Amino acid sequence: MAKKRVAMELGMGTSLRRQDYTKAAVRALQDALWHNSLTMADAFGFSREDMIVEVDIAVQKPEQVDIETVKAVLPYGQPHIRVVHGGLDIAKPQKPGADPADTDKTVIANAAVNVYFDMEPASGRTGDMI
Amino acid sequence: MKRLILEMGTGNDLYGEDYTKAARRAVQDALHHSSLVLFRSLDLPHEAMQVNVTIGVQEPDKVDADAVAATLPRGQAKVTVVKGGLNVVDTDNDTVSVIATAAVEACYDIRAEDWQLS
Repeated sequence: MAKKRVAMELGMGTSLRRQDYTKAAVRALQDALWHNSLTMADAFGFSREDMIVEVDIAVQKPEQVDIETVKAVLPYGQPHIRVVHGGLDIAKPQKPGADPADTDKTVIANAAVNVYFDMEPASGRTGDMI
Repeated sequence: MKRLILEMGTGNDLYGEDYTKAARRAVQDALHHSSLVLFRSLDLPHEAMQVNVTIGVQEPDKVDADAVAATLPRGQAKVTVVKGGLNVVDTDNDTVSVIATAAVEACYDIRAEDWQLS
């Protein structure tokens, strides 16, 4: 087994008005991805499509995240999306005269992207690399 | 040397007009959105990493590049400061908010012939 983790990227995204957990997740993933430009595939002489991209999304209502929409954010590589309970929801201030049962929330999602290559030292060099 | 990653961030100093502080915050923002796990996974010595930092601010002369370089946790750092970033001027309240942009390039002498896909 030679799956090697080469990079991790972190991000945060929100849905301020609509409690849209998918939107918050998409924004968190974009925040994680677009703070960095990974050029490792080129450095190793691999293809970008060789990248195994494992995405962890954390929100308070994981069942409301549409995984296909999140997956569509990734520009290349072999995607795997996992959604877990986490992130943070914060209740909005009560509007005057509103029913206290109306609990609008601000939704915050966390995203972690782990990038792997299934790689090993080139044959013939195994001895001195390990 | 091959570039492994370009990390980007912004930082500001809202009221102090401290360009070095804004630059340091931009670098921290850039660094902490990612982690170069490969140094551990592949057992590479991170001292041999070259870290090229470019800071953009409106008044480059006011950035202490050595102070910014000192905040980098690993590798051999080189800090360049150019005109860029953004100053937001509030003439009503006579304040200037300084925004710095940071680009951090991590480079390493990866020999592609030493590695292959499994």
